[in-house]
Amino acid sequence: MYLDMHSHSVSSDDSRATVEQYVKWIQVLRKRGHIVDGIVLTEHRKFDFDKNYSDLASQYDVLILKGSELDTRYGHFLVYGVTKQLTEAIDFGDTRMDSRELMKAARQYDAFALPAHPGRFGIGLTDYISQGETFEDVSIVERFNGGSRPGENERADELCESHGLLGIGGSDAHLTSHIATCMTNFNTTIRKEGDVVDALLSKDFHPVWLKDTINGASPT
Amino acid sequence: MPYYDEIELGDEIGPVEKVATDDEVSSFCEVWGTSSPNRFTDAETAAKSGMKGGPIVPGIMTMAMMAQLLTDWGGPGSIKDLDLVFRQPVPHNRALTLAATITDIREEDGENLAECDILMTGTEGERYIGGKAIVTLQSR
Repeated sequence: MYLDMHSHSVSSDDSRATVEQYVKWIQVLRKRGHIVDGIVLTEHRKFDFDKNYSDLASQYDVLILKGSELDTRYGHFLVYGVTKQLTEAIDFGDTRMDSRELMKAARQYDAFALPAHPGRFGIGLTDYISQGETFEDVSIVERFNGGSRPGENERADELCESHGLLGIGGSDAHLTSHIATCMTNFNTTIRKEGDVVDALLSKDFHPVWLKDTINGASPT
Repeated sequence: MPYYDEIELGDEIGPVEKVATDDEVSSFCEVWGTSSPNRFTDAETAAKSGMKGGPIVPGIMTMAMMAQLLTDWGGPGSIKDLDLVFRQPVPHNRALTLAATITDIREEDGENLAECDILMTGTEGERYIGGKAIVTLQSR
């Protein structure tokens, strides 16, 4: 199934798209022949425990899951399967947190954290690795990021190849029409946030561009 | 100008290519009445403000350029809302691409509304400005 693993709604301060606009736009993409099964809302520096999108999800037949995108001293990290215990252990608003501690805490509390847009110039993981930092717990990175500038996804590709990392895809949408520009194709069924963690741990997925989902076609 | 009944989700407005030249920025600042020297027209002041690439195009001028894209399409007075996020400074004398995509169509309080994503990008993939706009349109 095809999930956009990285998106921001108006719950993030720099997004101008509502969740309803995203799911309506997904209907447009489906009419054009694309396959989009769901999205993960990864709001900046927070987790929206109080938000429930189940009505929208069933009305538009789109899986809507919640995650987070946290700022750390080593770039942005996407967090899936966020639990109460994790938010009690980690201050999601701390932009100077050590991402290595975040990754360890995430696994301790049944979640999973991985670097977003690692090829981003200036703040991507590749730059920190070049500076001599090591990240032993990184096994998956966001290889396809829909908000990247030319060259940044290529740097993510090189990182994956040189370090033997797996990759996911996410649009990083902040505007309605950017949702699902890239996604992750999972070979397992995902229904809830915890399933995303299991699916990541299964290693049975790969990143895809929207254009490659036309009529279900997807290169492996 | 398009009628409300004619448009569909996913319709594109533009793209339109523009360049904000040194002279145009100077003229804009003169009309705007901003004090000199400033980071929009003076390289030294821009550098002191942390603008490594030279003077920048004023945000309010880029906003006017975005607004023109919409009014050229929907007609004078058609903009109901324009909400932009300025992501990085816009340089002088560079090709800028302005485009919008219709993402929602609805009737609200007796008005026909088209909501759009709107973007200003550069030739190297820079996303200078992004946001959304709401435009009112006439029915046929």
